[in-house]
Amino acid sequence: MEADSRGRQWTRTAARISRISLLLLAWFTTSVTRADTNLLTLSLSDLMTKSIMRVSEPLSSVPAAVAVVTGNDIHRSGARTIPEALRLVPGLNVAQLDAAQWAVSARGFNDVFANKLLVMQDGRSIYTPLFSGVFWDVQGTMMEDIDRIEVVRGPGATLWGANAVNGVINIITKSAKETQGTLLTAGGGTQYRGFAGARYGGQLNENTHYRFYAAYANHNDAVLPNGNEAFDSWHLARGGFRVDWDAGDQNSFTFQGDGYAGWFHQIYGLFNPANPPTFSSFVRDEYEPRGGNVLGRWTRVFSASSELKLQVYYDRTEREAVIFREERDTVDLDLQHQFALGERNNVVWGFGYRVTSDREANNPTITFTPDNRTVHLFSAFVQDELTMLRNDAGENVVNLTFGSKFEHNDYTGIEIQPGARLLWAPRQRHTLWASISRAVRTPSRAEDDIALTQPTPGGPVTIYGNRRFESEELTAYELGYRARLHETFSVDAAAFYNVYDNLRSIEFGPSPTQPPGPFPTFPLHAENRLRGETYGAEFSAEWRVNDRWRLRPAYTFFEMQLRAGPGSTDTMSLQDEGKNPQHQFSLRSSMTLPHNIDFDCTFRYVDNLSAINVSSYVTADVRLGWRINRHWEIAVVGQNLVENRHAEFRPSFITTQTADIPRSVYGQVTCRF
Amino acid sequence: MLKPIASLMLLLATLAGGITARAQGSDSLPEYQLKALFLYNFAKFVDWPAGTFPETNSPIIIGVLGKDRFGPILDKTINQPLNGHPFVIRRFATVAEADGCHILFISDQETRRLDEILRSLKGRSILTVSEIENFARQGGLIQFITVDDKIRFLINNNAARSSGLRISSQLLNLAVKIYPDTPAAK
Repeated sequence: MEADSRGRQWTRTAARISRISLLLLAWFTTSVTRADTNLLTLSLSDLMTKSIMRVSEPLSSVPAAVAVVTGNDIHRSGARTIPEALRLVPGLNVAQLDAAQWAVSARGFNDVFANKLLVMQDGRSIYTPLFSGVFWDVQGTMMEDIDRIEVVRGPGATLWGANAVNGVINIITKSAKETQGTLLTAGGGTQYRGFAGARYGGQLNENTHYRFYAAYANHNDAVLPNGNEAFDSWHLARGGFRVDWDAGDQNSFTFQGDGYAGWFHQIYGLFNPANPPTFSSFVRDEYEPRGGNVLGRWTRVFSASSELKLQVYYDRTEREAVIFREERDTVDLDLQHQFALGERNNVVWGFGYRVTSDREANNPTITFTPDNRTVHLFSAFVQDELTMLRNDAGENVVNLTFGSKFEHNDYTGIEIQPGARLLWAPRQRHTLWASISRAVRTPSRAEDDIALTQPTPGGPVTIYGNRRFESEELTAYELGYRARLHETFSVDAAAFYNVYDNLRSIEFGPSPTQPPGPFPTFPLHAENRLRGETYGAEFSAEWRVNDRWRLRPAYTFFEMQLRAGPGSTDTMSLQDEGKNPQHQFSLRSSMTLPHNIDFDCTFRYVDNLSAINVSSYVTADVRLGWRINRHWEIAVVGQNLVENRHAEFRPSFITTQTADIPRSVYGQVTCRF
Repeated sequence: MLKPIASLMLLLATLAGGITARAQGSDSLPEYQLKALFLYNFAKFVDWPAGTFPETNSPIIIGVLGKDRFGPILDKTINQPLNGHPFVIRRFATVAEADGCHILFISDQETRRLDEILRSLKGRSILTVSEIENFARQGGLIQFITVDDKIRFLINNNAARSSGLRISSQLLNLAVKIYPDTPAAK
């Protein structure tokens, strides 16, 4: 019966889509009868609605698998949150669990608690040292303020340090000078019940620019696999400011800050010792995360080839849920100096200090021993880019970049992460690169100190942390090729072979260092007895079909083999192999139609995740926008359009509801003046 | 299965749309192609003193002073005459050579020499355009700025008047700011 109604819904959707496409086709064909117009006939007002096209050339000299998603790409995709924008990046695994939870990773190990990616916003680390992953539900900023998101797949450990094991994501916002004037936006739809944003940018004097913003979003529940509403709706308010001061030719200062407060619905599976025989309760909770940060940065330019950067930030997060309560303060200081040494060397070095201090409120389900802890991290790095060969035109033909990061952390002491990358440009517009690097993922607070009790069919189980937990290690071998094969066509390919050691395993028995809890639950504890290899390849291309149509396909192939080391009793973690799709494919089409209408489609295919029973899916996001004039723009965005609803991922470690992602649509109006 | 059919239809609609669409350019253009188009439009909406173009086909001369960030795109874009006046593009290294231009685009590399350049051009009916910071405030006529990835411009109308140029109100209305900074100027 469900299949039947599904079939009917299918036919209705297909009919709707073909009707719309026929209308569009009719519209285009009538405009064809007009003579071919050229750019000189564009009016001044029209010119003022055009964006500056970002040329992606600079990437050709980077010896790593890099992708940049521009603010314009994000705008054209209709993404309203950071994870939605990350879907545009070739090679990333982005899976939505429910209305607020996301699992994001690169090159495997995806999970809601994925821990192998370093994520930063404007140089501020936004992954939590609690589990070395990101609380995606609260990350973000006004989407219109994002200048670009840079993603490096592969270890970025040399420059960025521990936790940059499988990749680095850096979300970069526009400078205050680039966001002058007023911007107002508002919209709503089926999943995004309502959202609004306002931003004002001005200048105090010729050299000092500022902006303020405030944004609010209210999101509906997702759906359960049986079609009913889930209990995961949320709303979040955020605001912030940025001031940029250009103090002369050599010095510039930035001062910025943000704050947010949210209210999220979720159903948690709790350990309830007073509730035999399952000893569990499922509780409907409204959890409240809050946070804020301030950041200051000083850049001093000594010469065209020498620059110094000093940055300090303070970050505070609070999270209050029935299952978990934490307050965390982080202060980070970072210094970086870049200079040319002789004719052939470009050296970057720096050092940093970070202190993070937390207070946890314990409950029977999640307990931390000790319940508050302050952790210090000292780091230093040095990297040299050596030009080995130049051609007659003075361009670099062979470049060797090598260096290392040195860290001292409170969990494992000293960690050294060296790496070397070779770049060869055999011809103009063709680049080959190769690299070998070592990266480590240092223990998190949870792996050291947690006691997490969850109900299972066989009775309650407690996973204990282990103060002797070691860093996970990676040795990565990578190869890449980038070429502009034609004015209109470029390709980017990367292949990797990663060897992991000391991966986290969950072993039977009590923890060697953490005391057992007060209740008789079955004990497990964290060790490092898993190892394995991953290998894969990532391809992406860009084809400018003509002036108004751009196609960007991307394909990722991935394989993972995990093995339990000697003495390991862990069979659970080996299942993680099946949490990564073997194939991923996406196709982005960006089209500009007559009368300043933008039409963007993104198709995505993700292979099945056998370990968590998530089948493969195809989905599509579509945006139709109209830049009415230089002040007004309206848009309609459809997301997850292909199926009525589909599953992308499932929870782990902490039991939350199992949800599917429904088809949705929203409309938006934006005004700039 | 109906799923792939709907996807295929959407794909085909997209492809079909792309092949038949003839639009006036995409939503984004290379930076200097956009600026070249703005220069063409500035020529449209600025009046030079009577006698500047004696014949109906006297050329309009656009000069680029200093490091040329336009490159060949400038000549390729401005390839049609305006009201019968063909465009001629010249490139200069020093302001002394820049005689006879009607529009002069001053490179951002000339920031240090800006005062000297504006002084030597004083009184001449040349529409000076630049991306240099504070160009309009310092007496340049039209200054390009970038806001949210889009091109905007500031106009110094006083300097325009003292140069004998009349900027049409259509152009003034689209400027983000008009110097001098008095309420009357807005």
